[in-house]
Amino acid sequence: MIILTILIPFIAGGLVPLLPFRKRWQMEVFLETAVVANSILVWYLLFHHSDSTFLLAHFTGDLNISFRVDGMSMVFAGLVSALWPFATLYAFEYMTKEKNENVFFLFYTLTYGVTLGIAFAANLLTMYFFYELLTLVTVPLVMHTLTREAVLASRKYLYYSLGGAAFAFIGLIMVIVYGSTTDFILGGVFDPERIAGHTNVLLLIYVMAFMGFGVKAAVCPFNSWLPQAGVAPTPVTALLHAVAVVKAGAFAIIRLTYYSFGTDFLKGTWAQDVVMVIVMFTIVYGCSRAVKETHIKRRLAYSTISNLSYILFGAVIMTPLGLVGALSHLVFHAVMKITSFFCAGAIMHQTDRHYVHELDGLGYKMPCIFGIFTISAFALMGVPGLAGFVSKWNLAEAAVESGNPLAWGGIACLLVSALLTAIYMLSMMVRAFFPGKDFDYNTVSDVKDPNWKMLLPLFVFTIFIIGFGLFSQPVVNFFSDVAKGNV
Amino acid sequence: MYLILLPILFPILSGAILLIFFRTSLKGNEKAKRKTLVIISGSLLVITALLTITALLTAKESFTLFYLTETLPITFAIDATGTLFSLLAVIVMLCAGFFSFAYMKHEDHESRYYGYYLLVFGVLNALCFAGNLITFYLFFELLTLSSMPLVLHNGSKEAVMAGLKYLFYSLCGAYAALFGIYFIYRNSTTLTFTAGGVLNPSTVAEHGSFLLLVAFVMILGFGVKAGMFPMHAWLPTAHPVAPAPASAVLSAVIVKAGVLAIIRIVYYIFGANFLRGSWMQTAWICLTLITIFMGSMLAYREPVLKKRLAYSTVSQLSYILFGLAVMNDTSLTGGLLHVLAHGFIKAVLFLCAGAIIYTTGKTRVDELRGIGKEMPLTIWCYTIVSLGLIGIPPTGGFISKWYLATGSLKSGLPILDVLGPVILLVSALLTAGYLLPVTIQGFFPGADYDYGKLEKQEPSKLMTVPILIMTVLSVLIGLFPNLITDYLTAIVSAVL
Repeated sequence: MIILTILIPFIAGGLVPLLPFRKRWQMEVFLETAVVANSILVWYLLFHHSDSTFLLAHFTGDLNISFRVDGMSMVFAGLVSALWPFATLYAFEYMTKEKNENVFFLFYTLTYGVTLGIAFAANLLTMYFFYELLTLVTVPLVMHTLTREAVLASRKYLYYSLGGAAFAFIGLIMVIVYGSTTDFILGGVFDPERIAGHTNVLLLIYVMAFMGFGVKAAVCPFNSWLPQAGVAPTPVTALLHAVAVVKAGAFAIIRLTYYSFGTDFLKGTWAQDVVMVIVMFTIVYGCSRAVKETHIKRRLAYSTISNLSYILFGAVIMTPLGLVGALSHLVFHAVMKITSFFCAGAIMHQTDRHYVHELDGLGYKMPCIFGIFTISAFALMGVPGLAGFVSKWNLAEAAVESGNPLAWGGIACLLVSALLTAIYMLSMMVRAFFPGKDFDYNTVSDVKDPNWKMLLPLFVFTIFIIGFGLFSQPVVNFFSDVAKGNV
Repeated sequence: MYLILLPILFPILSGAILLIFFRTSLKGNEKAKRKTLVIISGSLLVITALLTITALLTAKESFTLFYLTETLPITFAIDATGTLFSLLAVIVMLCAGFFSFAYMKHEDHESRYYGYYLLVFGVLNALCFAGNLITFYLFFELLTLSSMPLVLHNGSKEAVMAGLKYLFYSLCGAYAALFGIYFIYRNSTTLTFTAGGVLNPSTVAEHGSFLLLVAFVMILGFGVKAGMFPMHAWLPTAHPVAPAPASAVLSAVIVKAGVLAIIRIVYYIFGANFLRGSWMQTAWICLTLITIFMGSMLAYREPVLKKRLAYSTVSQLSYILFGLAVMNDTSLTGGLLHVLAHGFIKAVLFLCAGAIIYTTGKTRVDELRGIGKEMPLTIWCYTIVSLGLIGIPPTGGFISKWYLATGSLKSGLPILDVLGPVILLVSALLTAGYLLPVTIQGFFPGADYDYGKLEKQEPSKLMTVPILIMTVLSVLIGLFPNLITDYLTAIVSAVL
């Protein structure tokens, strides 16, 4: 059954260019049905999974491709499968203005399967395999418009990701050599006898592997591919570069830290300090670049860079509470950021405006889009009652509880970043709603809200943002079960 | 029980409805439409005020609305401190609201203004009634967000920039406070406001010095809203650009949210006993004294009347903070009394400035020669409350400053116990220097003044009556201080 969830998107995606669709809506219905069915299957699996491991292929010794559903997979797979149908719906409307839709939807749907493969991977090798695959299937999406800019961006994306994966591979080798198994086990797999005397080398390898997977999670200094990849169509930027791909990087780092190297081994070492400093720097760096950026989508991309490092900050606190913080931000940020990206996309789709200074006076012309955009901005800032506050609260609580003074400094970084978030998000809202005295409303007279295919996903996400903000307890309880290994 | 929710939800909802459904600009039969809008907003304001008073009189127990997470309840409770601030808010919001019905005639987007005005009213009530730190923080952020549109109301480049400056300074302060909340959450038994503090004695012994730093960061953070040095710069930029009644509300009530925040964390979370005598207290007192002197000095040099009043707010708020920082019963009484006194006085001053702008269009102090002959009632009120702010008996300002000075003298803090009253006196002198020129030039324009040009142009009743009411109130505080000090003594003896 696990393998089915990965295969359905492959088959459905592969059929898109092959089947003779006469009308566009037939393709839409076919694809949406496949995606929704797959998501339902995934959720069914999450509630009725067994603990057994599904072995697909066996190479040699310990090395095999196998799948298993555990707590972490449930979080990531649940998130991805909840967002994908909505994003697909949005993409149908958005892509009406772009060419080569079939190729686009082929790779877009393939990515779904690959992402689920990462989520359900039972060992490091399987995850690594799908991780590489993810890079390959998403390159065509970045390249989609085939402009010179897009080709350059996708080339950069490819080189960065493959280079990062190479470093991660070294980590994989070390786990094979020094670990008792490559399977993911909460608490780590290192064999105390074998690692004796090699601690420092292993820590160095950890930092390297962290940075390797960190490329996808856009850790400084390997983040410049992400804003550039914003040339891709908005559904790609929103779903892949705010959720699936970049969160796969964060997911891989959490797997590496908590399930392979183990927090007992890493906690309190210099390696922890190094990665925490890098992450803290990225948090502030991403936000300050976002403030300077004037292109709306690139501004949000820089914001993603910063927010991904919130997740990693939770992860490198290396306590169960830290993992809870990381997981809550992984999920909540996904919803908030996909919402803001979809709003940005809707603005581009409806008005063809791409820069912040062009937003003047649009607020009252597109009340739904800008209302939702404002809510997502408040959520990203961490206004209580919305999702962002809860995840930041969990992160900060974990940092305080850890008693690590460096992590206390991290709280300060989070709050500086929150202030910068307010600056780069609200300056857009103020422009849109309060364009100033001399503004000529005739310039925006023909602007209006997009149709239901774009609005429906946005409304659903908004409900989630508010719902997570007000009733986060069940979700957070589940996360803490995951972090304690009870799931 | 639900009575406590009404004064919060009613204005917020009605404000939101006003914002959404009354968006159309006033065209066509403008006058009739404007009249409906004014009547609707006016009745909403009055209903809110009545609801607030009912809640103040009847709601005694705390009410938990829901839980953000298991340990973070959104709770409302009315205590004596909250009542004090809420009363001030209701009176000023009501008076300034009626004043705006006349004043806003010459501004655009009136419905937007009333919408946000009502939102601010609701949020202020929520802030006064907040029963724990998380609830307080939530509405503290909302207060910033909902009052920003009042600042940038007129939409000029200058106003928008001022609005953003206000927003970012305030959020910066709020996040500094949030930093502290994270640590308090870990080191205290509860986040519910409890007179005397909630810190866990065992963690105080362990992390005491770090918690002092946390307290200082929080006071700096909430101090942003109260215009405390070094984060005061937003206040003289943001307050004057707003429409005059909004400036009055900002300067008289909204900045008091910062004061309330500091009272809550110092006396209800950390506890005065924990902070008294520490380096943090000394540093805080020094900051307030610097602010008092600097604010008065800048006000003295400022030629534009509304800006001058804004600088005066910077200085006067730090009088209150000084009283809070000294942390004994007399000084705290003085601080709380000055909350009321300054609230009414500053509202009157800004409304007078607004009345002057509305009728004559003059903004600079040196243009106001002979203004007293033209608008005698307004300038008389201006003069009376000015005397109050300077601290001349028998006005409210005198009593509060008396308490502040004697509190400081008996505190026994080295050097600062004498330095405090000295700076208060110097600042009082400067206050006279920056407020009275309007009166002097207004009533005694000099021999060369051309009386022929003079015409009576007292503003309408909608403007003068609110000014009169608050002037009378500020005088009453001075004439019958015992009523209030008795009430304050109850608060003070509970928290110290």
